[in-house]
Amino acid sequence: MEIRNQDLTKHIPGTGDFIKIDQSKCNGCGLCARICIVNLWGIKENVAFIREDYKEKCLECGSCFQVCEPSAIDFSYPAGGTGVVYEQG
Amino acid sequence: MNTYDIIIVGAGPGGSMAAKVAAENGLKTIFFERGRKPGEKNSSGCGLGPRMFRDFPEMMKELTPEKCPSMRAGSAARCYFINEQDTVAGYVMSRPTESVSYEPAKSWITMNCYRSEFDPWIAELATNAGAELKNSTLIVNLLKENGKICGVVDEHGEKYKAPIVIGADGAISMVAKQSGLRTKWSQDQITVCPQYDFQAPPEKIDDIMGDETLAVWWSATFPASYQVFFNDGFHQGLGNWLTKWDKNPLFYLNRVINLKYYQRLLRILEAKPRELQSHLLPWLQYPYNTHTDGVILIGDAGGFPCPLEAEGIYPAMVTGKIAAEVAADAITSDDVSKNGLSKFDETWQKTSLGEDFEAGEELYNIWRAIPFSPKETMTWFVPMLMEALGGIYDWSQPHPIRIRQIAAKIKSYMPQALPFMIKYVFPLVAKIFEDDLDKMMDPQKLMTALPKVMEMLPKKKKRRRGT
Repeated sequence: MEIRNQDLTKHIPGTGDFIKIDQSKCNGCGLCARICIVNLWGIKENVAFIREDYKEKCLECGSCFQVCEPSAIDFSYPAGGTGVVYEQG
Repeated sequence: MNTYDIIIVGAGPGGSMAAKVAAENGLKTIFFERGRKPGEKNSSGCGLGPRMFRDFPEMMKELTPEKCPSMRAGSAARCYFINEQDTVAGYVMSRPTESVSYEPAKSWITMNCYRSEFDPWIAELATNAGAELKNSTLIVNLLKENGKICGVVDEHGEKYKAPIVIGADGAISMVAKQSGLRTKWSQDQITVCPQYDFQAPPEKIDDIMGDETLAVWWSATFPASYQVFFNDGFHQGLGNWLTKWDKNPLFYLNRVINLKYYQRLLRILEAKPRELQSHLLPWLQYPYNTHTDGVILIGDAGGFPCPLEAEGIYPAMVTGKIAAEVAADAITSDDVSKNGLSKFDETWQKTSLGEDFEAGEELYNIWRAIPFSPKETMTWFVPMLMEALGGIYDWSQPHPIRIRQIAAKIKSYMPQALPFMIKYVFPLVAKIFEDDLDKMMDPQKLMTALPKVMEMLPKKKKRRRGT
């Protein structure tokens, strides 16, 4: 069965940035890219970057923040009333 | 300045329970939810256990399908066993056994409902009791005066003041961070759990699953995956500690979905994927750093999910209630210091939750070693178990020969199984039954005795008749 994951999440727009990466701290380990189930992280020239449209895709689980050993990733939450919505969570 | 007796950050089941109890104790209470309503940010689909109905009977009897249409309770649970070839090698269906001691635990094992319905229901109990709920509000910092925590600040810079702040803000807790209790979990204290919600017609679920409410898919190719049935759908998810992923978690979840058996189940249930979800779930041997001056952490924020299977709703409600009661006492006696709030730990440790954490280390270790170690453990565990459970349903040989074949095969797993039992099973048994079994659990004695017993098993037989 081919599941189209992009059809299975719903987001309320309007938030500012809530994930930041300090690329000077990043060691390029790639764990953020491995752990993110909606594939918002990539590695370029040994440094992690987050996709520009992450605010419309992020499930706000915080795995990237938690898994980052050098603490290069800072995670808060989207503005109140915005971001992912689970109707059958 | 908005001034309160108590501020609760988070309106999940723990935060709402704390708000309800605080308001009932006469405290001027406010609690905050970052979603537009409680529950819309949560994806852990609650399985409400019978202990909740035993411990909070007045409250739980108000939970009806009218208020919570996704509710589904049932008596059956199923364990599937999947081998290295991604085949369902067998399954066991079970119901509450004769040793189960009270109602409703005799009638059902879990009452499942979506958080989008349960969380608003419990938050409403809190607002009915007089607590103020502020939705769509992200709390971004703690308010401090002379280094002392005295409230919170929201994303718009609005300040709220109170002598006590309860952190009910989940796995990544701002309250924990800003109070200095914890910046981050260590990687073996937290799991990530992706899950799908599937929609299915209620009558199909009833016809096909009967009164099954819960299934665990134990596997040699993915970490154990849970399936939780609601009225018109079900969750299929899995988790593991952050140290344990060698691939994207979704790779493993899709491996469950793509089992032939699972695909057949989806077809006959007429199930369609409806939502993709993911959440972090703290999973600890024992909660620590749960409070400091003016702050108590409850539920996931405090690391309270059960050490065996990480169910978090009941622990959140238990700790929420206790935190509110301890806060009320602390405010009355004008002592909100860390020392004054230490009654929080003393109290939860005496509850049913404390009892679970007494064996927390052993429960955690055994779960980590079995279902969350598909390659290391389940590759031999599943075939060994199925040899024992299913090996006899075979007439390829005369039955006595089959039994010897089965025994020989089981024996071949002993080099893995024996050290495993000594390392994980016996410490748990010893912990639970305390010191009277300690002598029996001496690993050295076991190592010398057990292989001898096993040696005797598949030996040549003497013929009863003839020569």
